[in-house]
Amino acid sequence: MEKLIEILEGLNPEVDYKTCEDLVDGRHLDSLTILALISEIEENFDVMIPTVEIIPDNFNSAKKIWKLIERLEDDN
Amino acid sequence: MSYFSLKYLIIFLLTIVVVYIFTPKKLRNLLLLLASYALFIKVSKKLVVFLLLSTLSIYFSALLMNKLDLKRNKEIEKVSKEEKKIIKEKYKSKKRIILILTILFNVAFLFYFKYLNFFKEIINIIFSSDLKILKIIAPMGISFYTLRALSYVIDVYNEKEEAERNIIKIMLYLSFFPIILEGPIASYADVKNEFDKKSSVTYHNFCFGCQRILYGLFKKLVIADRLNQFVKIIFKSYMNYSGSTIFLGAIFYTILLYMEFSGTMDVVNGSAEIFGIKLPENFRQPFFSKNISEFWSRWHITLGLWFKNYIFYPVSLSKPVKKLSTFLRNKVSVRFSSLTMGAIALFAVWTLNGLWHGAGFTYMLFGYYHFILILLGNIFEPLIIKTCDKLKISRNTKIYKFLQIIKTSILVFIGELIFRAKNLTVAFGMLKRIFLNFNITNTNFSIGLDIKDYIVLVFALIIVLVISILKEKNMNVREELSKKHIVIRWIIYYALIIGIIIFGAYGPGYAPVEPIYADF
Amino acid sequence: MKNIMNNVFKSIIFMFILLVLLGILSYVLLTNKENVKKYGINVVSNNEILSEEKNTIDVIAIGDSLIYSSISPMILWKNYGFTSFDCASAAQVISDTYKELKYGVETQKPKVVIMEADVLFRNPKKVPWYYKFTKIENYLSLFHHHNNWKKYLFSFINTNSNFTKENIFKGFKYINKTKPGTNFNYMHANTKKYVISDENAEYFEKIVDLCNENDIKLLLVSFPNMRRWTYSKSEEASELAKKYNIEFIDFNKNQDLLNIDWKTESRDGGGHLNYSGAIKATNFIGEYIKKYGILKDHRNDKKYNNWNEAYKYYIESLK
Repeated sequence: MEKLIEILEGLNPEVDYKTCEDLVDGRHLDSLTILALISEIEENFDVMIPTVEIIPDNFNSAKKIWKLIERLEDDN
Repeated sequence: MSYFSLKYLIIFLLTIVVVYIFTPKKLRNLLLLLASYALFIKVSKKLVVFLLLSTLSIYFSALLMNKLDLKRNKEIEKVSKEEKKIIKEKYKSKKRIILILTILFNVAFLFYFKYLNFFKEIINIIFSSDLKILKIIAPMGISFYTLRALSYVIDVYNEKEEAERNIIKIMLYLSFFPIILEGPIASYADVKNEFDKKSSVTYHNFCFGCQRILYGLFKKLVIADRLNQFVKIIFKSYMNYSGSTIFLGAIFYTILLYMEFSGTMDVVNGSAEIFGIKLPENFRQPFFSKNISEFWSRWHITLGLWFKNYIFYPVSLSKPVKKLSTFLRNKVSVRFSSLTMGAIALFAVWTLNGLWHGAGFTYMLFGYYHFILILLGNIFEPLIIKTCDKLKISRNTKIYKFLQIIKTSILVFIGELIFRAKNLTVAFGMLKRIFLNFNITNTNFSIGLDIKDYIVLVFALIIVLVISILKEKNMNVREELSKKHIVIRWIIYYALIIGIIIFGAYGPGYAPVEPIYADF
Repeated sequence: MKNIMNNVFKSIIFMFILLVLLGILSYVLLTNKENVKKYGINVVSNNEILSEEKNTIDVIAIGDSLIYSSISPMILWKNYGFTSFDCASAAQVISDTYKELKYGVETQKPKVVIMEADVLFRNPKKVPWYYKFTKIENYLSLFHHHNNWKKYLFSFINTNSNFTKENIFKGFKYINKTKPGTNFNYMHANTKKYVISDENAEYFEKIVDLCNENDIKLLLVSFPNMRRWTYSKSEEASELAKKYNIEFIDFNKNQDLLNIDWKTESRDGGGHLNYSGAIKATNFIGEYIKKYGILKDHRNDKKYNNWNEAYKYYIESLK
């Protein structure tokens, strides 16, 4: 989780990721940033994020992203 | 056909509403479907065959994919983890064949009706051949319903959406009369529950729907059609006018386009609202955007989402692009790799976005113009942040945000100028005059409009601006209004209706704007 | 149930107030308040001639829908420089035709009046009921005159132009549809005998007298009409014209005058001409009345500059 927040802060340092609940809907992460985030996650956590999973609901908060990663790790 | 015509509003819509009220719940969707097909056949006649073919193709391929899913799930149950993967792959490739065939089938129609001539034109230019350009009349709304059809099959393929068994709902999804002509490009998830409600026409729904339709009429008749007087002359004979006048024309055209298109959406969503059907919104105060990519998440939202979901992510996460990005990540940097990924996907998105708007070079230029702006925005963003920090400029002040909005608007004006220009020569000619002959003191305001027109325009725009600001502050303007005393409410309605009748730019001497998006 | 009744009641009140408001505003925005006295007589749009500047119209065309479908005053202006106006309404009865002309000569001094012969045969008792609805337009003429707000609102601002766009068609109705007519033998297919009723003949005499009093040249015309015109009507009308020594152009009997291509130049299967048919008919009439030598070409007269301006808008409106 800390690793994830570190990554997020590297991409856009102006958000408080512990509390923010509308990362996508509030446009804190635009689609290009999400792409960068996906590459970082795939690199650091050794998972594959399929296109289907890229919906606002999975990316709206750090918690949700973390849940997604855990779920994908399980699948592997 | 236009949603603003009396034929649609008074004759068609009102009749359907009356019949709907007396239709038993079970048959309501069928009635909407019949009305939708009646409208389609009235406009496109025999071409209804193509709508039916598209509908049947997605209906059956979705069912087929669904069947495969069920079979796969059964087989998977009893086997080991390794075997699971193999089985999954096997079914996936089967499903993929169905998906690809369905996509090709639907895109082929779209290509034939919309792009064959453009394709021939390009071939003629390259090989200086002489392929005949035939006039082809496309089925009504083909660009819109094809995108909706594709989104449904792709979602079913990805198991995001279940295959629908009720064919009436799928037929209605593609042909529903408010959305057939100009969208919104709703996903099936957006509307399936709405269709299930089969709500009655309640007093509340009826009033709210009519309100929204009136607001749309106001935007279109009072603002868009009035501005058209100026715009059509500027774009026809721009050579006679100074750069600043042409720039004013670009501003007016952008406002016109917004009022026309968002006004249409008000009529569309209002029409559906009467039947208790809530459609997704296509606009969210686009002119408050701070950069181009934000603009496109507020303007024609459903189209943007479609491209994001079905082009942007699939392309950027496709195997070859991923391979390239892994390579770049190791050799250069993470940032460079994700930028490259994004650039490739954005290029695909904006090529298709431009072409979707129309088969022509101006539309392609329009697409690439936005591609470059968004890409540059992303490349320079860190640099701008750094510069601001160094100069100790706070990026959170109102002035900074205001300047960002102005900058974005100017970029949008230029984009829409390219969009409206008849061909590339005109587009470049106009841009050249804007940059070389810009002379503020020599701005001609009185083209097709007099001072009194401007007074009406300013008042009308202030009304729209105030409503937009309230909406931007997350206020539900219509709910607030409905809480007001009946006298105040009625005064507002009367003012709106009479304002439209008196100040609307209709009748002899005015040429209304043709439904712009209906041609795409 | 009570709730529903309540809502229905509210809706009715709402519509009622709206109609009253529209009625009041229709009156307020009338160009010429004089029109009010013609309320209930015929369609307000015909009375638009009362909004034209005094003594500027040289040709008045009276009659039914065949007039506003066949004569475009703007084309007469462009090609001949004549100022004309169509004072016509759908399914007009001859008593109204007479009244139209009377209003016309109140403010104008026309030199030529063109009358469509179809009204001679219309029985006032047999006008379809739905034409009565056109009278509603009298009370809700706002849709017609809405642009007049420019005259009354912000009147302290001088826009330098008294030109209103509302009457650029000068009574002509532009309907550009094409529906071919096929009843080519219409002059002879219908062998029914038609007679002009005494009442209608009386009104015709009144019209002739009115023209003589005002020193107006009257021209009776029968525009191409496959649907209702017959050989018998031609005979009757021409006899009547002869009686009063009036010229009669019969485009139905003498079809070679216009050579109408029924495939492309009718808007409703032969009942009326469409725009390209109207251009032909208008030019023929223009050429014909030019030969009288009593009409002036005003195209270069500065006083008539707003006609040139109107022509520009007219052309724009056709697109």
